[in-house]
Amino acid sequence: MSQSNTPGPGVVSPVGLLGIGAAVPSGRLSVSDVAAGWGQRAGSGALAVCGPDEDCLTLAWSAAGAALDAAGVEAHEVGALYWGTARPPMAEGPSHAFLLAAIGLGSDVGGLLAGGSVHAGLDALVAAWDAVAAGAVGVALVVASDALVPGPGTGAEKSTGAGAVALVVSGPTGAPARLVARATRVRPLLDRYRGDGQAGTGDPYDPRLYRERELLPSVTSAVDALADRPPPETRWSVPDPDGRLGKAVAAAVGAKAVSSEGVFAQIGDAGSAAGLLGLLGALGGPGTACVVGTGGGRSTAVVIEVSAPVPGQQRAAAAIGGGDAGTRSLNYPSVLRSRGQLVPLSDPVPMGVPPGSAAFVRGSEELLGLLGRKCDSCGTVCVPPSIHPVCMNCGSPGGDIVQVARRGRVQTFVVNHTMPPPFEAPLPLAVVDLDDGTRIMLQGMPEDAAALEIGDRVHLELRRYAIERGVPVYGFKVQRDVHPGSGPNGNGTNGSGASVALAGRESS
Amino acid sequence: MSWNRVAVVGGGLIRFGELFDQSYEQMAHGAFAAAVSSVDKGFDPHQVEAAIVATQRGTLWGQEGIGGNTVPSAIGLAGVPCTRVENACPSGSDAFRIGAMVVASGVHDVVLVIGVEKMRDKSTDEGLLSRAASGHPIYNRAETAPVLFAPFATRHMHEFGTTREMLASVAVKNHHNGTLDPYAHFQSEITVDQVLASPPVCHPLHLLDCCPQTDGAAAVILVNAERAREFTDKPVWVAGFGVATDHPYLHEKSTFTGLPVTTLAAERAYQMAGVGPNQIDMAEVHDCFTITEILDIEDLGFIEKGKGGVASLEGETAIGGRIPVNPSGGLLSKGHPIGATGVAQITECYWQLRGEVGERQVELRHGNALQHNVGGRGSGVSVVNILTTNNP
Repeated sequence: MSQSNTPGPGVVSPVGLLGIGAAVPSGRLSVSDVAAGWGQRAGSGALAVCGPDEDCLTLAWSAAGAALDAAGVEAHEVGALYWGTARPPMAEGPSHAFLLAAIGLGSDVGGLLAGGSVHAGLDALVAAWDAVAAGAVGVALVVASDALVPGPGTGAEKSTGAGAVALVVSGPTGAPARLVARATRVRPLLDRYRGDGQAGTGDPYDPRLYRERELLPSVTSAVDALADRPPPETRWSVPDPDGRLGKAVAAAVGAKAVSSEGVFAQIGDAGSAAGLLGLLGALGGPGTACVVGTGGGRSTAVVIEVSAPVPGQQRAAAAIGGGDAGTRSLNYPSVLRSRGQLVPLSDPVPMGVPPGSAAFVRGSEELLGLLGRKCDSCGTVCVPPSIHPVCMNCGSPGGDIVQVARRGRVQTFVVNHTMPPPFEAPLPLAVVDLDDGTRIMLQGMPEDAAALEIGDRVHLELRRYAIERGVPVYGFKVQRDVHPGSGPNGNGTNGSGASVALAGRESS
Repeated sequence: MSWNRVAVVGGGLIRFGELFDQSYEQMAHGAFAAAVSSVDKGFDPHQVEAAIVATQRGTLWGQEGIGGNTVPSAIGLAGVPCTRVENACPSGSDAFRIGAMVVASGVHDVVLVIGVEKMRDKSTDEGLLSRAASGHPIYNRAETAPVLFAPFATRHMHEFGTTREMLASVAVKNHHNGTLDPYAHFQSEITVDQVLASPPVCHPLHLLDCCPQTDGAAAVILVNAERAREFTDKPVWVAGFGVATDHPYLHEKSTFTGLPVTTLAAERAYQMAGVGPNQIDMAEVHDCFTITEILDIEDLGFIEKGKGGVASLEGETAIGGRIPVNPSGGLLSKGHPIGATGVAQITECYWQLRGEVGERQVELRHGNALQHNVGGRGSGVSVVNILTTNNP
């Protein structure tokens, strides 16, 4: 009976995978630091963890931009956004709408936010598949991201990583890879768990009980449900929630080649993103791949036929290892603070403009979309539109709302050392001349504080500015290009930008 | 231009500082009493026909209720027409300009201009954060006060080779001047090395590149020039004034090596006064940060653009220099109680032109003094007032 509830091959037509992108935070938390904090013997390895201005939404934004770039798809071509995350930044609220606006997708773009467990990434993929296969959506953007907040002192704390992966899904014709088969099986059992009102995620079961009675039976049931057994040479991405279980899962499903091997060692368990990040190693050339994900009592297996390297695969795979910017160590207290688990005795000073105020309502779209008003008389772009009813150059009231460029060059900057919480010091702030001529001033990245210079090439990144009165506030920050012309959304395709940058540094 | 000439006949202030034991009202009363007692031939407070009060900080700093009605009551003049002026950091200097225009119009002959500001009733963190989060919810986030001027230092250093030592020389000079001014918040000498070694506040500015947070109040009495001799035989005349505005946000600035808004205000004031920058004997200018004074002396026309740092290092702006700047200690040493700042600068110019400030007295060659403020979200407004001893 359960088989009739789950569409198998032949029920849903294949769809194409046009491009992929990934984002992993640069912060790394040493497992032994966490263990030492609880008086335990040292663990090993490091986990990718968010800094105070990152979360699953900012990671999702970064991966989505990289995927669109890789696929050569413009934001306006995207028909729907399917985002899976076990812990959306707002338990109730416009998480999906925020991400949509920040990516620059239109207000008519549909899709959904899948949640509830780390299976959400595959739920999002399946939903996109159905919509594209049914012809309801032409191009779908699928994003899986998680930066789970494990409970302090739990086992999950020593395995929880963070990351995001995004896929551009469309019709199968001419696509470098096709999603061809899938199966899902459901068992009503707890796994990683966070109750309503609980701040952190924990593991309810004894690890042996979880492995023997839940993980292995659930995963194998999904794989067994595939109409055709994947061929022996299939490259597998299998769940590896603690860095050891992956081997057991691989053995249980008969996987010989495991593309997800080693991912945990680099970033930990990236939750909803883990399965698709583990798939990256299988998308570099022709062959069959199978990604298996599990969580929330559900397991899904998806079979992918790869005929050519999937655009973005190399760059996305590199992101797992730290990407262009490399990694940086974060100490355990700072991670606890970023996660809201280490709070000062005194209340933080409330900000002057509360997120619930009309100013934020007026500013929401121009803030997330980074919009300007382009004068139809002289072409000057004034940002933000809400404070520029007329052109600041010529006074003309006519103009169009435009997205400003996302790359530019530093005109001048400061490094602020005296920021009270929730800001982090030292905090660079830079005036940037964007490539479209717009001048803008934004916060920078703490890790750029020492190296930032006038004339530097920079790009803009979505970051979480703060959580104010319980509400996350997002906006763009300036990040220094490590290699001119590179960066999450430049994807190295902006060759002319690179040469301009080098010439500019020499002349200035 | 047809307007009644205006004279300054009295000015006074309270000792600036962290005045935790004085209320806003007590500070106002202290400044008013000082101005009244300074009038050479005596002054009956009830001769005040109207008052202009400058207080800049409003809703964020616990002065929500401060209005035109607060000060008259506090100084014993309830009933007098009074209006509050807010125009960013130049609030005090703009209150002076408006007071002068009230007298010039002929509506009132005797006008009190008083600036009062409580900067220390809120904690530093709270003040900082309020500053960092007002305005548009994103475009000025994290912009504490030094963020509004430090980008100019970065660019000025980049373009002209201005050094941190040059910036520091401004702080050293103004702290020295402050030791000569009994009203100054700080009363101690500092060295260039101390400035360089002070903790970073907002790169490239360090702690001693920054003015303190200071409470204070100052007041001046303006009268119709025809009646000046009723009050003093040594009046000082209002020669001219200018105000200018610019796009307020930093990302809207056309340049980061100067503040065109200052130049525009100064041009208007020079034209009205019929003098040029080389006929100014001393200037009280807006030195909220060391870089600000360097920009000011260039933008006001005292020093060639780009040479402000060198000129400061070489002592051209010292009390005995070519153009003495901020002999009172300036904002860096005397302090910057915002609404009171401009009025206190006017008071210093008044005393200097009357030759009554002792050790910090500048040499008077032309009889003209200039007072300047610049500020706003990102230097969106500047005011310049010029006083003179030359007969109107």
